Amino acid sequence: MARLLAKEKLGALIRGAMDKKYRVVGPAREHGIVLFGELSDPAALCLDELNTQNSVKEFFFPKTEPILKYALGKHDVALADDFAAPRTVLIGGRACDARSLVALDRLFGWDYKDKFYFARREATCVITLACDRFDEACFCTSLGFGPRAPEGSDVLLVPVEGDAYLVEVVTDKGGALVAELADIFTEGTPGAEKVAYPEKKFELAAIKPWLERNFEHPFWNEEFLACLGCGTCTYQCPACYCFDIVDEGDIHGGQRCKNWDSCQLALFTRHTSGHNPRPTQASRWRQRLSHKFAYYPGKFGYEACVGCGRCIRNCPVGLSILDKLVLIGREAAAAPAEPAGAQP
Amino acid sequence: MIEQLRQRARELLEQGKVALVIGYGQGVSPRTTFPVFIKKAEEVDRLIFNPFCRNNLAVYLTRKDIMPKGAVGLVARPEEVRSVAVLVQEQQFDPERVVLIGVACAEPGKEGAACELLKGRTLKELEAEAAQGLQGRDPGRDVAERLRELEAMTPEERLAFWEREFSRCIRCYACRQACPMCYCESCIVEKNQPQWIPSSPRPLGNYFWNVIRAFHLAGRCIGCGACARACPANIPLDLLNAKVAREVKESFGYEAGFDHEVPPPMASFRTDDKQEFIK
Repeated sequence: MARLLAKEKLGALIRGAMDKKYRVVGPAREHGIVLFGELSDPAALCLDELNTQNSVKEFFFPKTEPILKYALGKHDVALADDFAAPRTVLIGGRACDARSLVALDRLFGWDYKDKFYFARREATCVITLACDRFDEACFCTSLGFGPRAPEGSDVLLVPVEGDAYLVEVVTDKGGALVAELADIFTEGTPGAEKVAYPEKKFELAAIKPWLERNFEHPFWNEEFLACLGCGTCTYQCPACYCFDIVDEGDIHGGQRCKNWDSCQLALFTRHTSGHNPRPTQASRWRQRLSHKFAYYPGKFGYEACVGCGRCIRNCPVGLSILDKLVLIGREAAAAPAEPAGAQP
Repeated sequence: MIEQLRQRARELLEQGKVALVIGYGQGVSPRTTFPVFIKKAEEVDRLIFNPFCRNNLAVYLTRKDIMPKGAVGLVARPEEVRSVAVLVQEQQFDPERVVLIGVACAEPGKEGAACELLKGRTLKELEAEAAQGLQGRDPGRDVAERLRELEAMTPEERLAFWEREFSRCIRCYACRQACPMCYCESCIVEKNQPQWIPSSPRPLGNYFWNVIRAFHLAGRCIGCGACARACPANIPLDLLNAKVAREVKESFGYEAGFDHEVPPPMASFRTDDKQEFIK
């Protein structure tokens, strides 16, 4: 026997969470695109698209956020910090979305523990849907996990035969929510799992060593000429976290904001002198790939990429990080690394 | 048609007339294409042309890290022809440095729509072909319809419409990066002494940014729609620019990108200007 949720009960699950005063965030269609957003009605949940246009990160790390507010008095400065993290159920993300939270936890909790981010992490229960389909941009399996990986989720819903989900409780927080809404679930014998696994497309273990050896490889200048430098890939990436801090205010006061930023923009690294250590779009792409597949794993033992494919589907000039990883994988196989110690 | 296109590119490269040809290549699925950069005659078979070639390639003509020292060949749809006309008008490069290979599709975005190589070789000839409406094609059909709806709104409704649309802006500036006319070395949004435009993605700054960009494109935007296609938030920027273009046409009888030899309206002075904005 296992715990099951009939597909038609997804709405009831959302309604139940709303009745228990949770804010519910899920995919909904808005202006022709499917975006994660706060649901005001369970019927707004839209599971037509494999992946939403935006990622879940904005519910933990918003695109803009005041980190403090200040008011200037005659002789003093008054600071205010009116931050709140509402109790939230995040439903309808994929295994890749959930995994991105684990990747972000590494960064935001590494030395300074980002209180805004972790307050939201703690207040949010993540209910993930395992995938019953994939498209050509999906590559979770190439990253060593897959469409029903539990990591980062509190509850995992796995589609099974018989129009139902098998309910896997992953964390205590997930268990508590399931217990709170117990009457929506049923007990039964689950049908066969309907989980679709994309084919593995490259050898992950070969990528980092290749990147570390080929900083000056002609590949960088040849493959990325078409890049417009629009940054869409980074803004839609669930695992990109770069931000900028700006003060916005006048003589009476203002606020200090933490805003998303992007390594794909020329301004990101431009010095006051005008010098830019990453002068070309090729050098910015090298940074993006190296950061995700060499520097981040080197520091945290974790890729800063989850294979969701958003950057590929939404690139205005059709550049695909997956294609480039496949190319790197081939290059690495053709010219394997020297044995350890042989390099200068 | 594709064979003729490749032949033109091959000749240009073999005869040393250009050092680089910028065109379209086939993406992973039949409906995806992406820009390709061909430096050797033996690579011209990577070039394709079909109804799914939608990027405005003229955007690369002002990118210093892409442009070679010599001339460049550009596969040019009417959108690129008109963009080049504006860039030449604005003296962004020597027209001799850009060799156009004119192409057109009868119905962009429609599977199997007829595509052809244009006859014109010079910018002047290609401008004339672009002005003829291109074999019966009305490039702005969809935008024109939406523009009618927009203009039927009251000013309050229009304001509410744009506020709602701009609320989704994440200030990634993909619109700017995809636009051939946004070639400023230092964009106003990047100036921070003073900070003209607040950089946080909130209503005020979002409004400033999108409206300022539209104003900067007055009399310059050729309506290719690259900004709207690049926008990850699906903001109808093509509609905003079409509205400004309509105002320019009504005030000055001018449409951008049909004649590179006339002075642009926002950069010229005429004594017979009606000056209707002074009341």
